[in-house]
Amino acid sequence: MLRQVLKGSSRPRHNDSAWLLDPQRRGVPNRDRMQRHADSDEVDLCIVGAGAGGSVLAQRLARRGWRVVVLESGRFWDPDRDWVSDEAGSHGLYWTEQRVIGGTDPVELGKNNSGEGVGGSMVHFAGYAPRFHPSDFATRSRDGVGADWPISYAELKPHYEDMERELPVAGQHWPWGDPHSYPHSPHPVSGGAARVWRGAMKAGIDMRVGPVAITNGVMGNRPHCIYRGFCLQGCKVDAKASPLVTHLPDAIEHGAEIRADCRAVRVEIDSNGRAAGVVYVDRTTGDMRMQRAAAVAVAGYSIETPRLLLHSVSTQFPGGLCNNEDQVGRYVMVQGASQVAGRFPDEVRCYKAPPPEVSSEQFYETDARRGFARGFALQTVSPLPIAWSEHVLAGGHWGDALREYMRDYNHWFVMGVLCELLPRPGNRVTLADETDAYGVPVARLDYTQCDNDRRNIAFAKDVMHEIWLQAEAQDVLTIDRYAHLIGGCRMGFSPVDSVCDKNQRTWAVPNLFIADGSVCPTQGSANPALTIMALSARLADHLSHAA
Amino acid sequence: MVGRYPDFDVMQSADTWDDATRAVVEQRLRSPTDLRFFDAAEAVTAAAFSDTVTAQDREPRVPVVAMIDKKYAESRHDGYRYDDMPDDATTWHLALRGLDEVARRRYGSDFAGCPNEVRNAIVEQFAGGSLQGGVWDTFNCKRAFSVLMRGVLAEFYSHPWAWNEIGFGGPAYPRGYMRLGEGLREPHEKPEALQRDPVRDTETAR
Ligand SMILES: Cc1cc2nc3c(=O)[nH]c(=O)nc-3n(C[C@H](O)[C@H](O)[C@H](O)COP(=O)(O)OP(=O)(O)OC[C@H]3O[C@@H](n4cnc5c(N)ncnc54)[C@H](O)[C@@H]3O)c2cc1C
Ligand code: SF4
Repeated sequence: MLRQVLKGSSRPRHNDSAWLLDPQRRGVPNRDRMQRHADSDEVDLCIVGAGAGGSVLAQRLARRGWRVVVLESGRFWDPDRDWVSDEAGSHGLYWTEQRVIGGTDPVELGKNNSGEGVGGSMVHFAGYAPRFHPSDFATRSRDGVGADWPISYAELKPHYEDMERELPVAGQHWPWGDPHSYPHSPHPVSGGAARVWRGAMKAGIDMRVGPVAITNGVMGNRPHCIYRGFCLQGCKVDAKASPLVTHLPDAIEHGAEIRADCRAVRVEIDSNGRAAGVVYVDRTTGDMRMQRAAAVAVAGYSIETPRLLLHSVSTQFPGGLCNNEDQVGRYVMVQGASQVAGRFPDEVRCYKAPPPEVSSEQFYETDARRGFARGFALQTVSPLPIAWSEHVLAGGHWGDALREYMRDYNHWFVMGVLCELLPRPGNRVTLADETDAYGVPVARLDYTQCDNDRRNIAFAKDVMHEIWLQAEAQDVLTIDRYAHLIGGCRMGFSPVDSVCDKNQRTWAVPNLFIADGSVCPTQGSANPALTIMALSARLADHLSHAA
Repeated sequence: MVGRYPDFDVMQSADTWDDATRAVVEQRLRSPTDLRFFDAAEAVTAAAFSDTVTAQDREPRVPVVAMIDKKYAESRHDGYRYDDMPDDATTWHLALRGLDEVARRRYGSDFAGCPNEVRNAIVEQFAGGSLQGGVWDTFNCKRAFSVLMRGVLAEFYSHPWAWNEIGFGGPAYPRGYMRLGEGLREPHEKPEALQRDPVRDTETAR
């Protein structure tokens, strides 16, 4: 009751970031008084990657007095200057160095997958912030597929609640999974999303507004969303959450150093088998340096984290760090993220409002009648022109037909699914033969779906077609694609089934931790960022109690 | 380029955009610089390909080839390649050579010298992955088509003329939008002047 009254106004317990921001400028204002450490100074923790996982870990531990250095490969963004309200002009936000993709169902990387720079991939993530369901943590015992987590939903729940307040998350009361409400109220929806909703209702499908990590009302010095629709190009307003505004100002205030333009190339192991620090390239000078640290956490995303470990060879670990049991890089997952567009006689103008608006988790859990295990989520997506042209191309159109479908842009609205795809050992990150500018082999990602995956995706597309039919769309266009990489260094029950334990400590090296989405054994049908952040908050609790 | 919004010019809103965005968009309207990635012959083939797949048949044209040239000259990559493909830059060089090879075999002229029907027929096979012989036997034809199309579409639909044609509101910071609901339009958004349904009204696609 009290929480309802306080809606939108309660200040997070462990995080002052929104109050540390400058109301007149975007970006991180306290950078000029950021602590600096010498390479030779053995800090308490060196984290690789200032993304979703790395930033929360840095913020939580800095608050508890840990001396933390975060090495981030990309730039320290100044959103006023570096980000643009433009699709093609946002190319610099993505990790665009070469990677090789293979397998029967290769996963296209680049702009649709990972970011580079302080804030990581959330800088250009869409903004959906659902929790995983309790069932996600035990799919092997409940549904006979996937894997059980070594932790339960209950262990993550308090951290979900904290993160929802810190991002903050806006949305209607959530009836699925573990039912809960959100600190910020739901955003108004666009005409297109209203149509999805109507179609869904007629098809007997329940939808809700949100949950999105976008302010609805002010929060500290973060303003209200202005519904400009460029969430996937970086929010120049500071309304959408990314660690750059939600956690790093507080981390810096408490003494963490975020060292941008520094690419980790190896985790150094001493003769006792402990991590001694991280070897990295200072990209501004080209110098190879090493930051000494009492502990190391790798948080470089599901591709770069396994790549860094596999490249860190030593006499104790000839096949890559923590890889003596051949587990590093395995069980990488994506979600089947097909999208179906519907056409309406009147204008819809899908470029207005944030792409994430309304969603449904009605099909999340297993329903035996569907003929496959686990399920999917439904969400609105609404593409800008370049993304829409890729959608039209996927429909088999080019030339006159493509041009005409493009001219029709304002009549279309797009809905997508996130199908849970199952973890498979052969879906794996390995090192390719070619190397990058620093002599490090580039990552290769192989991906092949199983029958359950294919059935899930086919069923989910039928549901989208049904919704558009009920919404009286005149025509539909479909694109098959993937979203959200996770896994690759999963947590598990023993060194032969995983890379790290339930507290994200690697089985092989006692002072080495994995602190990003690569630890997740399954992904459910929920977008992963909130879970990645909640896991890091939990890890920080564990580390500070253990220390 | 006139689409269905003859009264709409996105550049009329440029004074409401932030400086960083305005600089990026206005730069696309400047005359293209000299070629650095394509050689002169490749540029002719690339332009013919781009015209065919975007149905550009008259001036003023969006300078797609110059824009792609700039992208690769500045080493801006997309971040992945399929294991059965060379990198994107090499794919461009090879595919352009392949288009000329096929055109010469079929029509006795370079791709750019072929009439529209011939070009369309070649592109149809390119899209379907069924071009054969010469360079086409060295990589995955269908994937090469998607590499080239990804390049062409990303440039074409980043150009303000294309936005005018489709009625896209363009950059929206710091102004934002106030009118999101069904049937609502911002004062600067212009209504469509004619209605066309791509399903009913485009006869044969190509
Ligand atoms: C287009 C798009 C839309 C998305 N939409 C959503 C959404 O709506 N909801 C949601 O929950 N999730 C979404 N995601 C996914 C979400 O952004 C990621 O799952 C999440 O950010 C991953 O967190 P992470 O900590 O694993 O990695 P990241 O956030 O990617 O952080 C990794 C960081 O490590 C750095 N790094 C990597 N290697 C090195 C190295 N060797 N040295 C130094 N630094 C290194 C990288 O530069 C990067 O900054 C979306 C992603 C994309 C691309
Ligand atoms: S729509 Fe809102 S959250 Fe998204 S980029 Fe614009 S202001 Fe930010």
